[in-house]
Amino acid sequence: MSKQIIRNDFIDGRRIKFQAFGVKIGIEAEKTLYLEKIYRLLEKTFPSGFETVAQREIEYRFIIKSNKMDKGERFELFRNDERLIEDAGGEFFFQMVESEVRITVAEFAVSRVFLHAGVVAWRNRAIIIPAKSFSGKSTLVAELVKKGAIYYSDEYAVLDAAGKVQPFPKWLSLRGIIDPYTQLDCSVESIGGIAGTKPIPVGMVLIAQYKKEKKIPKIWKPRRLSGGQAMMEILPHTLPIRNKPKFVLEVLNKLTSRAIIVKTVRGEAKDFADTLLRYFELQTD
Amino acid sequence: MNNSQKPTARKEGLVIQEMPDEVLVFDLETNKAHCLNETAAFVWKACDGKNSIADITKLFGNQSGTPVQEDLVWLAIDQLNENNLLEAELKADFNGQSRREVIKKIGLAAVIALPIVSSLVAPTAAWAIACSGTVSSCVQNGQNCNAGTPCNPANRCPPGTTGTPTGAQNGTCDGNGFCVAAASTPPPAGCRVP
Repeated sequence: MSKQIIRNDFIDGRRIKFQAFGVKIGIEAEKTLYLEKIYRLLEKTFPSGFETVAQREIEYRFIIKSNKMDKGERFELFRNDERLIEDAGGEFFFQMVESEVRITVAEFAVSRVFLHAGVVAWRNRAIIIPAKSFSGKSTLVAELVKKGAIYYSDEYAVLDAAGKVQPFPKWLSLRGIIDPYTQLDCSVESIGGIAGTKPIPVGMVLIAQYKKEKKIPKIWKPRRLSGGQAMMEILPHTLPIRNKPKFVLEVLNKLTSRAIIVKTVRGEAKDFADTLLRYFELQTD
Repeated sequence: MNNSQKPTARKEGLVIQEMPDEVLVFDLETNKAHCLNETAAFVWKACDGKNSIADITKLFGNQSGTPVQEDLVWLAIDQLNENNLLEAELKADFNGQSRREVIKKIGLAAVIALPIVSSLVAPTAAWAIACSGTVSSCVQNGQNCNAGTPCNPANRCPPGTTGTPTGAQNGTCDGNGFCVAAASTPPPAGCRVP
């Protein structure tokens, strides 16, 4: 499905409607310009494309309301009548809308469990790196990709019912390219990598805490976690746990019973990436 | 010591995931996840309303192939009780000793792992990804989000740092509450400013 077809199908007057991972979304605004902005963000979030959905099937209806104020145009965002954002302005508002839509898809995805995590594949097995935002997850993923790992995501590990991980190859969110603070969205190709296309089994889950200037010893021996310990480390990064706990626990049980789960403190991504891949090869050969 | 009490494991409102040697319990009422290690899991499963503490102690001894002190079972009961995993509250009876003293006493001689119930509150979807996706709640909670957070900086960055509150819409927070103006350097090919 080409993006042009997606755009024509999904921006319908003052409405965007689409389906991603079985979640049926509608976004309404007074101006097509606003929808164009959101569409441009969403196509980077869901590079694999969307599926069409009929208006009557929409489950999550986002409405953007705008008001002209002395300080400029201000916006509010509603989801099914619940106000999610009030009094926001400028381009950041549209990023917030994209973020809320993304979270909605991640929370309510049908037959999928979304973990907030970076994911790469090495030798046809996935390494999942669950972490909070701004913990260096994307930086580590980018370094692993530069070493030849296949890019799956810097945002979500999307697990299916069998515990395999699917690609969610959104553009990487990277800082330090033009200055230390500005975040850029970059395609995986721009850093010399390629994106995965198929679901693969998970070989490792890495629970890593970044510590500045932490040196990794020559023989790196991270702590191995039991299934239960692993679940407790992964659950804080699991988006739909409150919404569908039974399914989530079944999927995580499959994941933790087949993959190795390690916990460590790591230093700079550049130094750590090689160590991680070497260890992974040794453990999974 | 009252070892004739017959505790019953709570089952209502729980999602139970069995794992090798451990049990993960999710409480639908409190949105808490509890991980019961092997010892705690054994005791919890043995709490069927028919077994007394003395019975559970004996069962555990048989299963582990080594004599078990009743205090070990009480330690498990104490934690199960604390985490609302029993039908009715059951006050642990350590014969006048504190929990710490009991742990120390058993721990020194233990062949069997002490019972452990570790717990956490499951996150909402927004909390699972922290600041970057919870911009509206971050602002509402008055948190100081991390660098680059794409939220409304007018609500977060102190005005007059490197821009006015409204001018801050052209920048991002630097993690210290300061507004940093967007870089004028154009992004390289394949990248864009979000």
